[in-house]
Amino acid sequence: MKIIEELKNNKLIDNPTEIQKICLHKLQSNPLPNPKSELWRLSNKSKFSNFLDHSLNKENPKLDIPYPKNPQSTIRLIIGENCQIKLTEENYSIQQLSENELNKYIKEQISFFDQNENWSDLLNLSLNCTKNILGLKINGSKIPPIEIFSHASSNSLNTKTLVIFLEKDCDIELLQVNLGKENSSLSQSTFLCLEENSSINHGVVSYGEIRSNLLNSLNVMQHKNSEYNLGSLHFKFNYARFEIRIRQSAGNAKTNIKGMQITKKDEQISTYTKMDFNGPNGFLNQINKSLADDKSHAIFEGSIIVPKIAQKTDASQLSRNLLLSNLAQIDTKPQLEIIADDVKCKHGATISQLNEEELFYMRTRGITLPEASKLQLSSYFQEIISFIPVSKDRWDLLDKLLNEN
Amino acid sequence: MQSKMKESDPILEVENLFASTDNLPILKGVSLTVYPGEIHAIMGRNGCGKSTLSKIIAGHPSYNITNGDIKFSGENINSLEPEERAQSGIFLGFQYPIEIPGVSNLEFLRVSTNARRKFLKKEELDTFDFEELVKEKLELVKMDHAFLTRSVNQGFSGGEKKRNEILQMALLEPKIAILDETDSGLDIDALRIVASGIKKISNAQTGIILITHYQRLLDEIEPNYVHVMADGQIIKTGRSELALELEKKGYEWTDNFIK
Amino acid sequence: MVNENLVQDVVKEPYKYGFVTDIETEKIAKGLNEDVIRLISLKKEEPKYLLDFRLRAFKKWQKMKEPDWAEIGYKQIDYQDIIYYSAPKQKEKISSLDEVDPKLLETFDKLGIPLTEQKKLTNVAVDAVFDSVSIATTFREELAEHGVIFCSISEAVKNHSDLIEKYLGSVVPASDNYFAALNSAVFSDGSFVYIPKGVTCPMDLSSYFRINSGDSGQFERTLIIAEESSSVSYLEGCTAPMFDTNTLHAAVVELIALDDASIKYSTVQNWYAGDEEGVGGIFNFVTKRGKCLGKRSKISWSQVETGSAITWKYPSCLLLGEESVGEFYSVALTNNLQQADTGTKMIHIGPKTKSTIVSKGISAGNSINSYRGLVKIGTKAKGSRNYSQCDSMLIGDQASANTFPYIKSQQPNSEIEHEASTCRISEDQLFYLQSRGIEFEEAISMMVSGFCRDVFNQLPMEFAAEADKLLALKLEGSVG
Repeated sequence: MKIIEELKNNKLIDNPTEIQKICLHKLQSNPLPNPKSELWRLSNKSKFSNFLDHSLNKENPKLDIPYPKNPQSTIRLIIGENCQIKLTEENYSIQQLSENELNKYIKEQISFFDQNENWSDLLNLSLNCTKNILGLKINGSKIPPIEIFSHASSNSLNTKTLVIFLEKDCDIELLQVNLGKENSSLSQSTFLCLEENSSINHGVVSYGEIRSNLLNSLNVMQHKNSEYNLGSLHFKFNYARFEIRIRQSAGNAKTNIKGMQITKKDEQISTYTKMDFNGPNGFLNQINKSLADDKSHAIFEGSIIVPKIAQKTDASQLSRNLLLSNLAQIDTKPQLEIIADDVKCKHGATISQLNEEELFYMRTRGITLPEASKLQLSSYFQEIISFIPVSKDRWDLLDKLLNEN
Repeated sequence: MQSKMKESDPILEVENLFASTDNLPILKGVSLTVYPGEIHAIMGRNGCGKSTLSKIIAGHPSYNITNGDIKFSGENINSLEPEERAQSGIFLGFQYPIEIPGVSNLEFLRVSTNARRKFLKKEELDTFDFEELVKEKLELVKMDHAFLTRSVNQGFSGGEKKRNEILQMALLEPKIAILDETDSGLDIDALRIVASGIKKISNAQTGIILITHYQRLLDEIEPNYVHVMADGQIIKTGRSELALELEKKGYEWTDNFIK
Repeated sequence: MVNENLVQDVVKEPYKYGFVTDIETEKIAKGLNEDVIRLISLKKEEPKYLLDFRLRAFKKWQKMKEPDWAEIGYKQIDYQDIIYYSAPKQKEKISSLDEVDPKLLETFDKLGIPLTEQKKLTNVAVDAVFDSVSIATTFREELAEHGVIFCSISEAVKNHSDLIEKYLGSVVPASDNYFAALNSAVFSDGSFVYIPKGVTCPMDLSSYFRINSGDSGQFERTLIIAEESSSVSYLEGCTAPMFDTNTLHAAVVELIALDDASIKYSTVQNWYAGDEEGVGGIFNFVTKRGKCLGKRSKISWSQVETGSAITWKYPSCLLLGEESVGEFYSVALTNNLQQADTGTKMIHIGPKTKSTIVSKGISAGNSINSYRGLVKIGTKAKGSRNYSQCDSMLIGDQASANTFPYIKSQQPNSEIEHEASTCRISEDQLFYLQSRGIEFEEAISMMVSGFCRDVFNQLPMEFAAEADKLLALKLEGSVG
């Protein structure tokens, strides 16, 4: 854990910014997360330490985006590369947050941090210098779809931070893509703030190459009447954690989450979500699907917290898991913590393999077992894939996933 | 007429079949031979093994054949996969057709039709040609085109599911069709549609096994033979009059035949 | 909202079993050390292996830390301020019930568990435990005719030492957890059941635990062995007087089921819960575990938990035998400042094992009611299945209901299904019942009892009625 050693000895950062100082200070007293805590107890220790073994990448080699050229209408930004943007159109404007605004907002976020829960963010903000932080302020209507890329280059640890401030009555489609090159570590922290009546259709697609690692932390603050829709997909990382923290600051907001993770070989991918209702009439509909094959390990832990103030909350969470191999394992733990009494909350979890009766039915119609499995898997994933917005259609994600078997 | 049929080789021969699931014996020596052009009815109480027999002929992985043989066109098929049986022309109409959320009915029908066509060395159909074929077959079961865009059987009513089964039968053009309680849950109009569909699809080269509780399907499609099953065996075989007698006297009557 | 306060009133019911029996007791001095353990063992005239078992457990306990992981808050327990042995003074050897102190018989009479020949329950054999010792066991001769052994564990140590030596600690090892280690070191008494091969126990067996003295802990130990093709239904009831101090109850229950055997273990727990401000009450930290060793064996836990200041227990099943079955049916009602953290662990080890979990939590007042359960399907448990259902009912907006299911599978050819939901008694439902002439309290009690129906159906007849009554009592306003 090279990074941690350097961090402890204060050797890592030459001229730390104010934010870096605050975070470094917090980390130095307590540099690693508590391995026994619920958030970290299942995390593979050697994989985690491998994440921290790379040295910090202070350069920023250019990224070849392996995607079809975007149509004119889409805004494409690459964190650390072309972060300069100032668009003022008739209907909308997208501009960078000033350094002051950014500092103020991040500092406010840090004040809410829990050392253990936000460890990934603390690490990210400690290591990240200004040029790898993208902060945007968006307002208006009829905004073109936005694509934002983060990437990690081989043999290094890379940190990227994204802050988006969505002003009142504004709605956007945002696709965030995290790419890990061979033998790399990517720390991505994202902070989204949805003002009243705003809405985001947010897609997060993360995939890596051999021996790539990812710590992906997403913090969402939702104000009244906002709507946050998240469709996510994580695959092909040797080690990946996707941590989602969503807070409905005064309730009366809508959240839909559809996530999916696929693990093969000896990969470990985990998803942690924490949903905090801090006011009445909140709504959550969440489904997380995972598929574990070979010797891999898929983890889901979701918690829904409904305090007394959150009357009339309507929350449901479902964890569905497919276990396809004798050596793979799946852990799931959907949990509810409820104090308000007038609420509708439910959760469910299933772990199974592909449905045998469905397979048999298809086979009696002459469809071969591999084809039938593929059909079934594609329907299993379709629900999630179709929820990821913007240009995903151009990628044939699903075919890509299914044909890599 | 009967003797003329027997001149050709049988389509299906079930010979002294014993089968079990989870070590529980279900079939205890079933024998049955079906020649081209024949319609057989198998009747019996719930749990007598008639549904199990149909699943075993189709190759359901949960059942083990412990003794006996199933031959299709003279070849032993005991160890064939379900899809191999289907491709070679065995069709099972399910009592409870399975819902497969997310898989489009049209895609499902096209993939299965092409699997059968490939076996028959017929040209596989692209989406366009397949649509043409399906349109024609939809007529047979009086189904609306809208069914094709929905997920397989999902949200279908009981009658719609059964018609979807007959549609599949029409597309796959099987040599033998085993229809497991295709009449259950159908009102009289739906029953007529299904029955006329079955009659149009079958011909002098195909065999049909109807598994049913009731006479009413047999009023629409007259069987050549009626078999009564109890406790994993065929305990009585007769002509279509047997079904009428059974309807009159009830299944208690058949208890007398149990060996 | 109009009815919220009324509902609150309804769940406030004075504890009916809070009386203290005035009886001379023999107690040893407060505190815990090796000498105390030797003294307990000496008083019980135990063989050396058992003393060694206790001392080993004590050594382990000293090295362990009190767990702090659950959502439970309580004042630190001073383990040196507890009396580890307390027994009513009696004649040295009691040969019949007539020689039992009438005050003790009267106590159990008052609790609804008459022990005397004339009054004893006709279809249930009872082992009555008062503080640290077993007072009496009914129907012993009748049971003996069938080869069933039902006695206090102290007696079993004397008369069936081979079985004790073989099975004690085989399901819950002394090192299992902090409270199991403590129990293994200091356990005083409890019940022992042995059902021989092929025997269906002719009547329900029951133990009734009564804590009487305020400063002693209760550490009973229960061991039930069901040999091949045998079956037994066992019931456990508990009450304690009202004291303003907290009393520690750290029991260990071990069940062993061999091939084709079945054990049904039902508990109605109504220890004193403390007052409305949370003063006093029992700390109920219990380790209960069953081992389905044999093929097709079955262990079924059902519990109705209404008492104790803090309940912390997870009756569990280790499903080792092929096709063995584990079940857990639970109702937990918490009120005022009660805390309950309860659930089960179903560990599927053998192939084709099945488990079912049905948990119903009702939280009222400022209480915290958590379900915590683990379902694990191991690599060899091919063809295994679990189904869990956890429902919570909230009464009032100060109570909390939590659900923490831990689910792990390492076997693709298996299925796990978990469902949880929360609800409350809706005004519409109340209004509907009231409009049909049903009293408000009756309506609440009907709905709570309806909510718990799936669990009550699993209880033995006698117990189901008692459980229903118990919930109704807790929910009835006017009954004095």
